Amino acid sequence: MTGYRDRIAAALADGWRFAGLHATDGGGAVLVLLARADGSTLLERAAVEEGLAPTIVDIVPAAQWDEREAHDLHGVRFDGHEPLRPLADHDLDLASWTVPVRGRDAYQVAVGPIHAGVIESGHFRFHVVGERILHLDARLFYKYRGLERAAEGATLAEGLSYVRRACAACSVANAVAYAHACEEALGLDAPAGLARARTLLLELERLWNHLNDVGAVCAGTGLAAGTARFAGLTERCRRLNGALTGHRFLSGSVALGGSALELDADAARAAREEVVAIADDAKRGWRELLFNASFQDRLPEIGVLTRADAERLGTVGPAARASGVAEDLRTAGARLAYDGFSPAAPRRVAGDVQARLEQRAVELTQTFALLDGLLDGPLRSVAAVNGGVQAQVGVGRVESARGATTCVVERGGDRIERLRLRTASYANWPSVAHAAVGDLLPDFPLINKSFELCYACVDR
Amino acid sequence: MLTLLRDLRRLRRDLDLPGPGRGRSLALRHVDAGSCNGCEHELTLVTSPYHDLERFGLGVVASPRHADVLLVTGAVTRRMREPLLVAYAAMPEPRRVAALGDCALGCALLGSPGELVGPVEDVLPVDVRIPGCPPPPDAIAAALLRLVDGTL
Repeated sequence: MTGYRDRIAAALADGWRFAGLHATDGGGAVLVLLARADGSTLLERAAVEEGLAPTIVDIVPAAQWDEREAHDLHGVRFDGHEPLRPLADHDLDLASWTVPVRGRDAYQVAVGPIHAGVIESGHFRFHVVGERILHLDARLFYKYRGLERAAEGATLAEGLSYVRRACAACSVANAVAYAHACEEALGLDAPAGLARARTLLLELERLWNHLNDVGAVCAGTGLAAGTARFAGLTERCRRLNGALTGHRFLSGSVALGGSALELDADAARAAREEVVAIADDAKRGWRELLFNASFQDRLPEIGVLTRADAERLGTVGPAARASGVAEDLRTAGARLAYDGFSPAAPRRVAGDVQARLEQRAVELTQTFALLDGLLDGPLRSVAAVNGGVQAQVGVGRVESARGATTCVVERGGDRIERLRLRTASYANWPSVAHAAVGDLLPDFPLINKSFELCYACVDR
Repeated sequence: MLTLLRDLRRLRRDLDLPGPGRGRSLALRHVDAGSCNGCEHELTLVTSPYHDLERFGLGVVASPRHADVLLVTGAVTRRMREPLLVAYAAMPEPRRVAALGDCALGCALLGSPGELVGPVEDVLPVDVRIPGCPPPPDAIAAALLRLVDGTL
């Protein structure tokens, strides 16, 4: 039993990072995924004996949600994870899933699952004194559809529709992570054309998401002009997506074992021109935000996530980079066309709302440049080629707009035995709860918007 | 101010200009009953400068107590059934329910059987159906405008 913990501790000391944990074999085993900056991955397995597996949460705090999920959905208990609070289980009393906060004048504010705007469903329980947040328990999984379980037994090709259904905002990233996992298991390699098609789709997805997220921060501060401008830009991106792929969220454009996406020279040129036009308008919009003093005053030193906390909590994506964790899966870029990519950083790596907002802006500049190169010429359909070794388990890792998204596929022949999709939103929700501590309750919408995570991606 | 408004009204009448057109408005409350977030993102853009539904008297309100229409997205999950019913019960009458998107209408649902209750009409009486996966802002805007015009 201790061997598993020792192996993980040794791997962490050796530069490996935690990338996910899930129960498999119908709750008979636990599988931990570790990854390195160069893109390599390592799986460690622990047997579950009499429903009990050793915990790793004391050495990897980032595994907290994973272990709680494995308990609620697969009945695995973790020896040493105390208290193992429910995550996906809802039919329990309040005391079982909230952290007790006691003291003079401490009380709770319950928000959701239905929110005041057009927002996904989820429940936040704030423990506050006055307006100061002492602790936040986020309860998601209101939208749990059981997609992973429903996909078991489906063919690998059918699995794509389950992954796509998980989330529209990360539809491409999730689908590419799944396709990479399946192709790794099937021993398929991506030729240059396939890498280019998928990189194009990933960057188009990042483009509208980042523009949307800048607008979301404007909305969080009540800056209507910024909200409107960036909503307009988001709409233009969706129209571009529709023109290129027939779907405004690019859904259905990622296939298994190849790409059917075709663009003739004229379509590519028109798309490239539209990207340049969007870039110009986005730059103007960004300048207006920079010179809007009342807006800028609202952003610094709220929702601070320190680098140490980001590393401890396993934060990923723009949120982690804004805290000084210079990691971006595009640097490794296996199976994709990101040659020579290096992560961007804001001028002020402060881990606050301002840094996370500026992170989006510097990444948008990178995305505009990448798209300019990717749309330089026609695109033809292409198939993956045989090249690797076949395996029972495949892993796919992709940098989505919100960070590292991981997919593990365990197969039996052409069928899915177990599918785990660990999205960047899943990795980052504990960081949102942590960043809110010490700030004021009315700041939370802004802090939340600066992460702009999906609920659907987590709930699945 | 009042004089100005009166003058404007007189001017509009004298010159036979089109009036505010839609003399009515509808307050919308959105409930995500288990969507993939696609309908939410498209619904958000209905208020973008390209469509700007507010100018037709259609706005999203914070509480079901202020709402005329409940806009429901997603197939209803087991965990969202109760909150959805509570939101509906909080609405003043007359009230309408709009099912937004293919999942809310019960098309090609995916998920584990015990976790999905089903389409919105299994839980609430549905008055307006807006198909699409997800329906683009134009389609949402068109359906809501038909509703405010009373042609639905």
